[in-house]
Amino acid sequence: MWKKKEVIPDYITQNVSEDLIKLVDMVKIYDTGSIKVLGLKRVNLTIKRGEFVAIMGQSGSGKSTLMNILGCLDRPTMGHYFLDGIDTADLPSDDLSAIRNRKIGFVFQSFNLISRTSALKNVELPMTYAHISKKAREKRALELLERVGLGTRYEHMPNELSGGQRQRVAIARALANEPPLILADEPTGNLDSASSVEIMELFSKLHNEGATVVLVTHEEDIAAFTNRIIRFRDGSLVSDTPNIPVSKREKEESEEPEEPEEPEEPEYQSGDALC
Amino acid sequence: MLRENMSMALHAIKSNKMRSFLTMLGIIIGIGAVIAIVSVGDSMRNVFTDAYKDVGINRALILVSWEVTDFRSSDYFDRDEMERVKEVFHDKIAYIDTNSSVDTEAVNRLKKVKFDFQGVDYNYTDVQPQNIIYGRFINEADVKKAANHVVLEDKGAVQLFGTADCVGRTFRMTVNKNTQEFTVVGVYHKDLSPLAAMLLNNGQKQAGFIPDTVVSPKGNMSQVLNFYVRDGVNMKEFQPEIVKYIAKTKGRKESDIRVMSVVDQMGNVDSKLSAMSAAVGGIAAISLLVGGIGIMNIMMVSVTERTREIGIRKALGARTRDIMIQFLTESALMSACGGVIGIILGVAIVMIGGAVLKTTVIVRPSVVVMAVGFSGLVGIFFGIYPASKAAKADPIEALRYE
Repeated sequence: MWKKKEVIPDYITQNVSEDLIKLVDMVKIYDTGSIKVLGLKRVNLTIKRGEFVAIMGQSGSGKSTLMNILGCLDRPTMGHYFLDGIDTADLPSDDLSAIRNRKIGFVFQSFNLISRTSALKNVELPMTYAHISKKAREKRALELLERVGLGTRYEHMPNELSGGQRQRVAIARALANEPPLILADEPTGNLDSASSVEIMELFSKLHNEGATVVLVTHEEDIAAFTNRIIRFRDGSLVSDTPNIPVSKREKEESEEPEEPEEPEEPEYQSGDALC
Repeated sequence: MLRENMSMALHAIKSNKMRSFLTMLGIIIGIGAVIAIVSVGDSMRNVFTDAYKDVGINRALILVSWEVTDFRSSDYFDRDEMERVKEVFHDKIAYIDTNSSVDTEAVNRLKKVKFDFQGVDYNYTDVQPQNIIYGRFINEADVKKAANHVVLEDKGAVQLFGTADCVGRTFRMTVNKNTQEFTVVGVYHKDLSPLAAMLLNNGQKQAGFIPDTVVSPKGNMSQVLNFYVRDGVNMKEFQPEIVKYIAKTKGRKESDIRVMSVVDQMGNVDSKLSAMSAAVGGIAAISLLVGGIGIMNIMMVSVTERTREIGIRKALGARTRDIMIQFLTESALMSACGGVIGIILGVAIVMIGGAVLKTTVIVRPSVVVMAVGFSGLVGIFFGIYPASKAAKADPIEALRYE
């Protein structure tokens, strides 16, 4: 049991699809015993590689449910969710763990760093579960912390860092296994406005470097950083509109007007683009 | 991954030092107690074995059983019979006497000291060497002439004469209802550890040797014969031989003759002592069970406290098995640490006890190995339930846990 070679199914490591996220007639029903609650009603949605998308909605709109399903923490009741071409509907939980480990980088509202554990160790964690050697893990974790601007604070414990810094550690952790998808759930919800802007600029930077970022938020000014805004109400998708990100708008205002750039980045090169 | 789990477990144990120590305490006390008790038992057996060796493993007593209903005067042995036995079995028997002794009070002017003199033949030192510090042992002439000569242990000599160097000094005592004067011809010294002395305590009586012809002269009858077989003679094989001979001379059935050998007795006491230490050790092992439950309890608390951590780990790709192994490693490590500390404690107690009682102590390596193995197993066994509870946690709920 201890020494057993860890086998990750090939389809998880090898599958590459142009449509990173594809929801087909996806329905989520919560069975609370006495009553069944409809969480999501027949959602059809496709997100391509390299997009920067905000999912918006009031509480109870189903956006958290969607987040859990997109993050492979939960399974759809009906319909299909293809992540990078893999149908996740019927996968056993250990395979879902492997998918979360390789395909998704999570950023949470409450940071969710492991307490009393250094920033470095926190960033190393997803790589530990990917069975990467200690030396390689440490090297990469240091690089990632450097990249989010915390190169000198790798030994700090989460409680020794400010909210913004903690979220940077969380983002570094999300990037650890070079996942194709960064999934952020209200990443600025616990931050002041200055830190919020810094974090959103970091996401924009990651997106410009080729990452696919999907973030859930209820704040319009946060969603304004993205290229596409999808709105939910009462479990249904109500609107899906392109958006010109704030950073670009500022640029356009100061410089010459440019063709509004559609999210493209044709070929996502998984490792190199992120490093 | 094993190293990863180990370092995670160490980290968790270290980050809650006091709690971890208190949890380990049950195992520490349990293992310490088991090691101490089993080792004390082993050491006691060792002392007994030594003591028996002192009495002589080649030694046995033979007699007509006290269970016969028609006891006859011919069931006693006299000196002539003893001599005949000695002759018949001279190639098997190294030494024989009538197992006589004098329990009396030695008087030197106003000093009175209780003595227990063992009646011996001159060649007694062939089978039981004595450490003579002054003078000599009983010799052939003493035995032949039934001379009133004695050899004293140095402790008794000091009590009676104020000095161990008392060769040639005389005192009076009553032997066979006849008060006579005796001369000290030798003094010997005997080393006994305090524990052995305690176990072999002979009251306040002092020891010494006297020619057995003085205690049990010709014509005197003795109920038993005391003999030592020669080195290399198997006592168990020799017994039926001598029983057959005695039965014939006494006109008794062979089943009426008893042989009591030290080897038999030793085995008897040894098995009783080992049964006893196993039983007490078993009771101490129950405290290990209690320690194990303590570990389980704290692991349950720890799993609940760390629900969110479990959720994070799962979200980041930990599988059910990874979480299970993480928590099992933690409980096993905690228990094994307790086991190691317990061994150190137990061995220390035994060592200190041995030093105080000036006794060689025995700590069997097999007991130590078993104790560590058992404590590790306790940790794993009592870790299974909390670990599986942790492993089964739903990541969504766990992440929401405050």
